[in-house]
Amino acid sequence: MIETTPPQTVAARPSPGSAEDLAVRVRVLSVLVDDGSNTLSKVSGLIRRRGFHVRSISVGPSRHPGRSRMTLTIDAGHAETDQVRKQLERLVEVIEIEDVTGQLVHSRELVVAKVSSSEVAGLVKWGAKVLESGPDGTTVEFAGEGKDVGDFIDELLHHGVLDVARSGPVVMRRTA
Amino acid sequence: MILEALEREGVEYIFGYPGGANLPIYQHLHEHPKLQHILVRHEQGAAHMADGYARACGKPGVVFATSGPGALNLVTGLATAYMDSVPMIAITGQVASTQVGRDAFQETDVIGATSSVTKHSYLVTNIAQLPRVIHEAFHIATTGRPGPVLIDICKDVQQADAERITPERLEIPGYQLNGHVDLDRAREAAHALAQAERPVILAGHGVLLSRAERELRAFAERAGAPVGTTLLGIGAFPVNHPLALHMTGFMGTGWNLKAVQNADVLMMVGMRVDDRVTARLADFAPKVKTFIHIDIDGSEMGKNVRPHIELVADARNALEAMTPHVGPLNEGRGRWLAQIDAWREEHPLKYTHSNGRLQPQDVLIDMYRRCRNDAIVVADVGQNQIWAALWWNYDRPGMFLNSGGSGTMGFALPAAIGAKFGRPDKAVWCVAGEGGFVMTAQELSVAVEHQLDVKIVLLNNFSLGMVRQFQDDFYGGVRSQSDLTHMPDFVKLSDAYGMPAIRVDKFEEIGPALDTAEKTKGPFLIDFRIDPEANVYPIVPLGKSLNDFWEAPN
Repeated sequence: MIETTPPQTVAARPSPGSAEDLAVRVRVLSVLVDDGSNTLSKVSGLIRRRGFHVRSISVGPSRHPGRSRMTLTIDAGHAETDQVRKQLERLVEVIEIEDVTGQLVHSRELVVAKVSSSEVAGLVKWGAKVLESGPDGTTVEFAGEGKDVGDFIDELLHHGVLDVARSGPVVMRRTA
Repeated sequence: MILEALEREGVEYIFGYPGGANLPIYQHLHEHPKLQHILVRHEQGAAHMADGYARACGKPGVVFATSGPGALNLVTGLATAYMDSVPMIAITGQVASTQVGRDAFQETDVIGATSSVTKHSYLVTNIAQLPRVIHEAFHIATTGRPGPVLIDICKDVQQADAERITPERLEIPGYQLNGHVDLDRAREAAHALAQAERPVILAGHGVLLSRAERELRAFAERAGAPVGTTLLGIGAFPVNHPLALHMTGFMGTGWNLKAVQNADVLMMVGMRVDDRVTARLADFAPKVKTFIHIDIDGSEMGKNVRPHIELVADARNALEAMTPHVGPLNEGRGRWLAQIDAWREEHPLKYTHSNGRLQPQDVLIDMYRRCRNDAIVVADVGQNQIWAALWWNYDRPGMFLNSGGSGTMGFALPAAIGAKFGRPDKAVWCVAGEGGFVMTAQELSVAVEHQLDVKIVLLNNFSLGMVRQFQDDFYGGVRSQSDLTHMPDFVKLSDAYGMPAIRVDKFEEIGPALDTAEKTKGPFLIDFRIDPEANVYPIVPLGKSLNDFWEAPN
């Protein structure tokens, strides 16, 4: 565990605000939690208190009764990036954490959008599914990686987008 | 059922205050004579008493408070205990479960208000949860890195009948303890320290909490490494030991800071390495090639200083595992220790004691001469705290108690009362400034009611001394709101509470006053009118590096 680099304090990192700095600061965590009434506020309170910032959050039931799975994308702010995981681990409500940042994962975000146009063949070609279609417009859904979802939302602009609802990512480690 | 559970956990004392939402518990208190309830005068006092009790005797302190304002008054006390890793159980009454969320009378979201200052908390809305919750709470409060746990119990639950339920086996999947030591790393750390030319060990509160003082001493002596302590680590290593560096940090001793700033290997045990220890972080221990950090809380690793060798473990287990692996020592060790001795000569603790005014150090030196290490000193926050830390040769754990992390003024008196309940066999001295003292002075009632042998040494400098010193030295000499005029006559105040007190303003009166305090049964207060210009030295100017410490003027 002896590193060869000189002793470092928390100050040593890529220059603040750079894209490189952001890539280092942002962690993606898959967290199994107790689904008690205080859990979400404990997790979010801790994130605020330690100077971190939530970029996205998805919560849903896990396959274990009484436990939920959270997928958090967190900016560590001025802290060492591994502090995010370590601080969350201290919560009794947190049962298991996997830091999947930069790992080979399946990551999916969901977007549901309403467009004024009834001509949505272009969107369907992207892989969107039509949920509802009527005189007031068409509602479509699309799931994909963050970048694809971003591109899809750009594409919506060509179809008279009326409203967009987008989830945070849910992730799962790839098996191979 | 709550009281039964507390008896089962071995509770002796409850520091508490009744009110609307915890009356059902109080109704049955008299049926449990093993539980002694200490009625406080303000809930903050209860929290600090429980804290002082826990720090003094090692058992978790227990607090009762009612809902709303009662529970909120605990917050400062919980935060104090949380910052210093003190085991505590706070049981608060909450409005009936059917009323929760309706802004009922004295309803406050206590869980929400205390989440950030407790290790864990529970809202109990159903009697069936209660035995498990109480058992878990004691387990969580006292194990690993200890801390306060709050249990908020709805009033209808307190009134519910239930069969006696013994708690099931503990199963807390989200609570894992880091007990065992990575032996390879322990060996690596021991080698690194032994082979260092200029090693330094710093010991924090974690050493005291894991009762590792013997193991620390054995390791340090074997490795020939000097040992300093943090403010909260005082007592982890005897100050009069040849390897002792005394206190570190921005008000630490000169020879300690010299050693830290010149060390090549720095081992930090059971400590958080906070800003009061490092001063300007970028310049902290700049010559260190290998930082070794031992702490039971993995989140401390790299929180402030990134270690090269980290051991997430109980301090005692880690030191025990390391000691046998201290190999041959670096040849330069003798030179290093001689250098430290030279620094000790060059930068001694000093103060001015010939200006005709009473100096706080004179008071402490006389106290130390008579008590040595048989008395517990409970300090408040400010100059009095640092004087009491530096001018006493503590040689064992549990003899110096103070609010180090949170710096809570008003801590000393109630904590000293709690400490006396926890260690009735020890003399207890409460050392406080007059500013902090009046923040919780109402607890004098408790000391008088129970005729506790708590001796209060008021270092009265007619000002918020530390604030005044900072303003003089670091804020352009502008004294703003730091003079305390219109304070009570402390002798009369004591008299009003029904306890004896005297005033001292001459050097010659120190000894006789302390004699009287020692001879008097029950609480006693001495109002020492000290030099209002007396300052704390050494001190590192705010924002500067540890190299830049100022010493007392000659």
